[in-house]
Amino acid sequence: MIALLAIPLTVLSMQQAADSAIAQRLAGRVPPQIASLVEDLGTAAAAHGLPIDPLIQKAIEGSAKGVPPDRVATALRVVAMHLDTAATALRDGGLPSDTLAIAAGEFAISAGLSGSDITALARTGANAAALTVGLRVAGTLAALGVPPAEDIGLVSVELRAGEPASTLLLLPANVQAEMAKGATAAQAAAGLARAAAAQARHGPPPGRGQGHPPPPHPPHPPAPAPHP
Amino acid sequence: MRSGSQATDGDIVRAVLAGDRERYAQLVERYRDRYARYATRMLGSVDAAEDAVQDAFVRAYDQLAQCKEPDKFVGWFFLILRNRCFAERRRNRTSASLEAANGVAAVDRSDGGAETAEQRRALQLALLGLTPDQREVFVLKHVEGLSYSEIAERLSTSVPSLKMRMHRAYDKLREQLRDHT
Amino acid sequence: MSGHEFHPLVKQLLDGDITLADLPAELRAEGEEALRLLARVARTDVTMPAVTWRVMAALERRRRRFLPWLLAPALAAAAVLVLWLRPGSPPPSAPVVTVRFVLVAPEARQVSLAGTFNQWDSHATPLVRTGPTGVWTATLTLPAGQHQYAFVVDGVRWVPDPGAPAVDDGFGRRNSVLTL
Repeated sequence: MIALLAIPLTVLSMQQAADSAIAQRLAGRVPPQIASLVEDLGTAAAAHGLPIDPLIQKAIEGSAKGVPPDRVATALRVVAMHLDTAATALRDGGLPSDTLAIAAGEFAISAGLSGSDITALARTGANAAALTVGLRVAGTLAALGVPPAEDIGLVSVELRAGEPASTLLLLPANVQAEMAKGATAAQAAAGLARAAAAQARHGPPPGRGQGHPPPPHPPHPPAPAPHP
Repeated sequence: MRSGSQATDGDIVRAVLAGDRERYAQLVERYRDRYARYATRMLGSVDAAEDAVQDAFVRAYDQLAQCKEPDKFVGWFFLILRNRCFAERRRNRTSASLEAANGVAAVDRSDGGAETAEQRRALQLALLGLTPDQREVFVLKHVEGLSYSEIAERLSTSVPSLKMRMHRAYDKLREQLRDHT
Repeated sequence: MSGHEFHPLVKQLLDGDITLADLPAELRAEGEEALRLLARVARTDVTMPAVTWRVMAALERRRRRFLPWLLAPALAAAAVLVLWLRPGSPPPSAPVVTVRFVLVAPEARQVSLAGTFNQWDSHATPLVRTGPTGVWTATLTLPAGQHQYAFVVDGVRWVPDPGAPAVDDGFGRRNSVLTL
């Protein structure tokens, strides 16, 4: 009986905490009707394990830009919808609820990617932290004009290869550099994906790590192969 | 612009300090011509200015580890160049010569059809006729495009004092150029 | 006042505090004369292409003197951006990145930066005009992560960064995106 009571009480206290956090962050920044809408949407989002920060940010942004409240309200509902889509897509890809990854997915959708694109990235098996960076990078590539197929192809290769965040974060600049040489966004991303796939198969290309060539002879004899 | 696609001064300073010596050339490229203008106006001679700018960059490199705020490299470098220019002026007080003015006027680009070489030469002579302090504030504001508050910060002085200096410079320039306008 | 002194209002004009239209009619001619003088100065330019290689050649000659500190424990390696940890604060788990924002806006009277990093406050982060060509810059230290932003020109015009990727802001405009 106590356990049955504890669940609604916990949900209630989470909702109150969400309301309070939202009210605090919006105080003096947005009109009352927008604050009220963000509280409603935010409470529902928190109850479903969705992040509330994108909603708060969008409300503040709209008011700071002098956007009429009705248009801010529309934008907020779109953000809430994108959060829900992102969470569903991540679940379909096998990632349990992670608010940072969901927020990154919301950004990717706002940049032009779809739920199935997010699912495809989640299915690379990357952990939540890597996937969050991958989603943000994929969204940035989409914002640069890279079509979804090439975008997801490139980011997937990097995620599967287990590349660190610092490498993933360089992808937009690398695509821009190729575009500056005359490639289209799609060609740039496809070329980088081919190079990354080849590297994953054969190791780093010549030139990488030039400053540290392998010694001509191993300093120690190779370790014996472990027994099966 | 991204913002990130161009390394900041602080990025470059830290990279140089970490051993990537060649990247110092990026800082030289970035500020060379801006301070070429300043040094040329201050010294009244392109040759002297080129030596001063080169010397200041070499000194700045020598002392780079002492640049406490790498992101403010340019302000720190400016003080080195400024000291170098003022020292040069003290060493050679005759540089405000007709010959020097001719040299500066010769490299000035003129995109105004009505401007004549004679007018440019007169202007350079008039600038050299200002006191070093007046000339400096004039150059920083009207050649470098800095605001009074930026100049005040750079020179550790107040805006009213700079304005007083500048307003005297305006009058002096007008007086000297009254036959050339 | 002697004949070669500019009127105080003309000096304000030269300082950029007022415009020619703000001058009374009797001072317009003097104002135009003053602006002609200034325009002549502002157009002049000097370039010293040889300085770069001369400096680098001089440094090469001095290289040996710098070996000790070149070999000393270095700061974090630089890539396109340098990630580094500020001493003391924030804690080591919160990397920050220096970012230089640049906008070319010759006609602007003021430019600022608003974004997710300053609660979209268009007064919080002014850019500084760095030269006579209308280049405005600001250098910020931002936490690693993703940021959206726009430039605010003359307090009213929201302008995306022309060199950065951009996304729809949901209000009919574009936000620039910075992924660090």
